[in-house]
Amino acid sequence: MKMTKFLMAMIAASVMGFSSQAVASGGGAALEHANIDVTDQEQLRRGLTVFTDVCMGCHSAKYLTYGGLMRYPELGLTREAVDELRGDKSLMDGMKSDLSVEDAVVSYGKAPPDLSLVVPGRRGGADYVYSLLIGYEADPEGKVPDGNWNKVFPGNRIAMPDPLSWLDHDADETAELTQQAEDVSAFLAFIADPHQNTRRAIGCWVMGFLLLLTLVLWRLKVEVWKDIKH
Amino acid sequence: MLDKIMKTQLFAWIDKRTDAGAIIKSQLTEYPAPKNLNYMWNFGSLALLVLVLQILTGIFLVMYYKPSAEATFGGFSVAFDSVERIMRDVNFGWLIRYMHAVGASMFFVVVYMHIGRGLYYGSFKAPRELLWIIGVVILLIMQGSAFFGYLLPWGQMSFWGAVVITNLFGAIPVLGEYIGQVLVGGFAVGDPTLNRFFSLHYLFPLLLAAIVGGHIHALHVVHSSNPEGIDLHKPEETIPFHPYYTIKDAFGVAFFLLFYCYIVFFNPQMGGYFIEVDNYVPANNLQTPAHIAPVWYLTPWYTILRSFESKLLGVAAMGASLGILFVLPFLCRSAVRSARYRPVYQIMVIMFFIDVIVLGYCGHSSPTATLKVVGQIATAYYFLFFVSLPFLPKFEKTKPVPEGI
Repeated sequence: MKMTKFLMAMIAASVMGFSSQAVASGGGAALEHANIDVTDQEQLRRGLTVFTDVCMGCHSAKYLTYGGLMRYPELGLTREAVDELRGDKSLMDGMKSDLSVEDAVVSYGKAPPDLSLVVPGRRGGADYVYSLLIGYEADPEGKVPDGNWNKVFPGNRIAMPDPLSWLDHDADETAELTQQAEDVSAFLAFIADPHQNTRRAIGCWVMGFLLLLTLVLWRLKVEVWKDIKH
Repeated sequence: MLDKIMKTQLFAWIDKRTDAGAIIKSQLTEYPAPKNLNYMWNFGSLALLVLVLQILTGIFLVMYYKPSAEATFGGFSVAFDSVERIMRDVNFGWLIRYMHAVGASMFFVVVYMHIGRGLYYGSFKAPRELLWIIGVVILLIMQGSAFFGYLLPWGQMSFWGAVVITNLFGAIPVLGEYIGQVLVGGFAVGDPTLNRFFSLHYLFPLLLAAIVGGHIHALHVVHSSNPEGIDLHKPEETIPFHPYYTIKDAFGVAFFLLFYCYIVFFNPQMGGYFIEVDNYVPANNLQTPAHIAPVWYLTPWYTILRSFESKLLGVAAMGASLGILFVLPFLCRSAVRSARYRPVYQIMVIMFFIDVIVLGYCGHSSPTATLKVVGQIATAYYFLFFVSLPFLPKFEKTKPVPEGI
């Protein structure tokens, strides 16, 4: 049939256009794959600890409220645990760092970005965050001070000084540090879209229903059209 | 079922006052549709479906969205915060917003297929010229609507996309600068821009709904073309729209929803094509993103724009590339409609489809010397396709067209 030819041309053309777009930008070394699971409560809670102990020294995640830590079943913290974390802050407050923007600019030269949406907001997503955290190396040209050279950061020179102390770590610490990097990447991937697990769960039912509906309507179409010769 | 409803007393009461029965007969149960339409003819009804979905989801989003660029904690804005509030705190807000964002892209997927079908089977030719022209108006309003909508989350790509596009108007001689300032609401993209784009983003879909009504009316006057591209004279060549095409369209809708819902529920960003990565970063007028590109459905025209060294020429070419669609029915002089019976046109039009996708790819990628040349060649072919159409009948040997279907 002629229509098949037409469709084939359209499909072939789309495949050509849509293949391989994601290319690492300037300085960016190839990304490591982060082994994360945004449904794994253990991993997300470990990630939360890394976030509050390390990241929140400078970074905020203002769209995640303290109340959210209890409300999202994926995290499922108890009221007591949340009270301990929030101190005198309200449950409605976003998780904001105590470091002021002005102080951060004085210390590091720029304002630390909010991390609520860092995973969808970077090419490579969670893999990028993970690779960045374990991407600190000594500058091969010796120009950038240690702790400010990162092999995946665009342009290599990064204002954030090696948060997990990856540089010069002992071989027996590697497993622990990569685990921390993975956990916090999972946590950040989760908080960027906290309804994502619900969304996928509902999605399965929706797809099931639509498959059935499509099948029924297809048979109905064939039935209605059975006497038409064309 | 329709018969049963039409026999009720209530229907008789309404019919007496509105002539509803006659309308149903002339537009549905006795509306003649060619019996050989293939599945490429499903995209019109799908476009209507997506338009309705966009308007409905949009109405609900507006209940929570706040068009203000006023800065909030962490370099965000009131507008960005309100979008995140929809995503996180509004019940099923994430669903409505993903439906709307994915719907915008799917609208273009469906409409581009619809236009491609019209091009391939020559549906734009007499007597359907005006039907096609109304369709081009719809395309332009859609593109405007999508562009205005993309500014609303006030992310980096929203902001810089608006900066690049509104700067284009500066290239127009004499009035350009003034038009640019009116559009932006000042000397640079900012809060007033967000407010007027929001207003226009609400206005344009309403225009769209009205013009789509005109498109359908025009269709129902001249009736559908068909894959053979021939005029139908015998009654046995047509079948009533209802139930035959209502059920076929319903099946098409379910099939389409499979794809749409898969994206909405499992991959709403579509790898950065439907919701761009940079738009998760709040707008910052001091920091230009490494690579500014419009959303995929506008990139073919962006490449045409970038293919010229002179900004004015680029803008003119981009305008011409869309404007030339208006005169297509008058450029194409062949007496045969369908590409099935036009061997040269068939190759040319398939190459044209590939060409538009190449243009789109070039516009989406970071500019390199090679891609620039590829984009320029693709731009040249884009115009060559249209310009050569009037001369085609002089040497194209068309195949014999069937008498009937």
